[in-house]
Amino acid sequence: MQLTREEERIFDGERGEAPKIAIRLLYSLGELGEAEKLIPVKSAHISGVSYKNVGEGGIQFLKKISHPVSVPTSLNPLGFDINNGGPVEIDEIFRRKQMEIIEIYQKMGVMDSFTCTPYYYYNEPSFGDHISWAESSAIIYVNSIIGARTNRESGPSALAAAVIGKTPDHGLHRDEGRKASVVVNVEQQLDYTRFAALGLFLGPKLNRNIPVVRGQRGAKGVELKAFSAALSATSSIPMFHVDGVTKESSLVSESPEVIYVGKEEIEETIGKNSTQQEPELIAIGCPHLSSEELDYIAGLVKGKKKVGPDLFLFTSREVKAKASDAVKTIENFGGKVFSDTCMVVSPLSNSYRSTGTNSGKATFYLPLKGYGNQRVAFMGIMDLLRWVIA
Amino acid sequence: MGDRLIRGRGLSPGEATSEVIICNQLISPLGEISRDGFVTSGPCENTSITGKILAFIGGRGSTVGSYTFLELKTKNIGPVGLINESAEQMVVTGAIISDIPMVDRIPLDIFSRGDKISINGSTGEVYIADVEKKRVATVYLVHKGKLLLLKRAESATSYPGQLSGISGYVEKGEKPEETGRREMEEECGITDSSLKKVGSEIYVRNKSILYEITPMLMESKSAEVRLNEENSSYSWVEPEKLHSYSTVPKFKETFEKLVSSTLKKE
Repeated sequence: MQLTREEERIFDGERGEAPKIAIRLLYSLGELGEAEKLIPVKSAHISGVSYKNVGEGGIQFLKKISHPVSVPTSLNPLGFDINNGGPVEIDEIFRRKQMEIIEIYQKMGVMDSFTCTPYYYYNEPSFGDHISWAESSAIIYVNSIIGARTNRESGPSALAAAVIGKTPDHGLHRDEGRKASVVVNVEQQLDYTRFAALGLFLGPKLNRNIPVVRGQRGAKGVELKAFSAALSATSSIPMFHVDGVTKESSLVSESPEVIYVGKEEIEETIGKNSTQQEPELIAIGCPHLSSEELDYIAGLVKGKKKVGPDLFLFTSREVKAKASDAVKTIENFGGKVFSDTCMVVSPLSNSYRSTGTNSGKATFYLPLKGYGNQRVAFMGIMDLLRWVIA
Repeated sequence: MGDRLIRGRGLSPGEATSEVIICNQLISPLGEISRDGFVTSGPCENTSITGKILAFIGGRGSTVGSYTFLELKTKNIGPVGLINESAEQMVVTGAIISDIPMVDRIPLDIFSRGDKISINGSTGEVYIADVEKKRVATVYLVHKGKLLLLKRAESATSYPGQLSGISGYVEKGEKPEETGRREMEEECGITDSSLKKVGSEIYVRNKSILYEITPMLMESKSAEVRLNEENSSYSWVEPEKLHSYSTVPKFKETFEKLVSSTLKKE
């Protein structure tokens, strides 16, 4: 990889320690991707915010790389709702460490977005924009549905790109890297949860191959958000295409592999990841809910009486403000709407042992021992709400 | 005969020597590696990676996974080295910021459980202690669309009685193509043939021996074969029927790879 004169100066430490660490990381990753140069990015999105995920080692790294960002940079959710508290009790050390992380990011000039769906408000890329994003579910969403261009950056590498304002030019930044190599034919029309199940089913099979999904011309944005999150949790796939829906679905390599997914595979995936026992908590909003989704859920619970498990919904501050009527309806019903955080990055097991969700991504992470420690009921939103509506 | 070195791609500098933990799975370092240094899902569930060299197919899942390695390193309970078959950015980033040596482009099946290995994250070199590497050339010989299968003699030191192509050790100073032609003449009496393709190396582990095999596709002008004592019989078979024969390890998939990439080029 070739660096410009100015980039070389940064590399040699002439612009300070933090830019040096940042550009050296970008350089190594550029070599890995066989990039020839760095290119400017329009925005960055950073994962690695919750103390549960970053840890003590991460805090030390963030301190070392702390430096004002040079492009608009949004931030992922953290371990609790900063202004309202919850979703679960946390100890004082966790709170202190979490706020230490937030302060480092704030000092760098990163937005207080605290969401995994920054594309709804804070940080909206346009078609063809070169960006450097972390957060697996957001990367795959903006590449596939918006048509912006980012590699599957890690928390540290997106941060490095935010500091330098550039990213290595390879992979998803080029047409060649955006081509589908597998055709996935899906027979039945899928809903939100079945799209999530398709993601869980395909992820381990495809590993890193970009798929083009056929037979789903009616797919909606939120369903593809569910697919994005589940697919990228179980693989390292940075993008997908959906025939007739996404903008670059004509990018298919020569003689792709073709696979068929039937009703059985989808239903088996749901059954395999689910228990039928009543959970202690119903958690919806992984990825964070849009205002349309909040409106939809509000419509389902309006005027009803709540029973049974707790009902938690997760979204961003701005979407929560925008959908304030829906939020009021849900709160009157007896549900809670949290911002800044979610069921995956908060220490849920402090208070709960079993969770019901319609999220494929949460269904992957929550059962893991030493991480989520939950028994999970993975099912559609109507089935979930049956536990809580009298 | 050969050395003990396998060469991958260096991704994060530094050297490490330890026991290899072989995990034939994709791993999300967030969640699938616990904060006390254990793999928490898949074939390696409940295996400790502390102080070990962790070899797995590649990373998946959360882009925060890089911090898992940093956290383990800070607590002094991390792996001392990482190996992937095919690496992606998140794990490599984790290795770099945690100063953990890392190498990729290493097939996991060259290792056996309990192997003590050394890796060099700058050069991409991997050594397996007490394992000898032997370089082998294997000729896939075709004639009029049929593939030659040789039945290895019952006295053969490796894979006796199994079906194979024309194989032999690469002598010092010899190129694999030269080995192929020499063996073809010695084992089959064939001298008139043309080289179609040389494939990339494949590895086959057999106890304390690691075979580094260079496969090549050759076409013979005639179907006449004169065997020496190394093989007991031969037959020309249709490639479509290859799956029904009992061949040496990795024989069929290597042939398919050789043929498919040849077709694509033409």
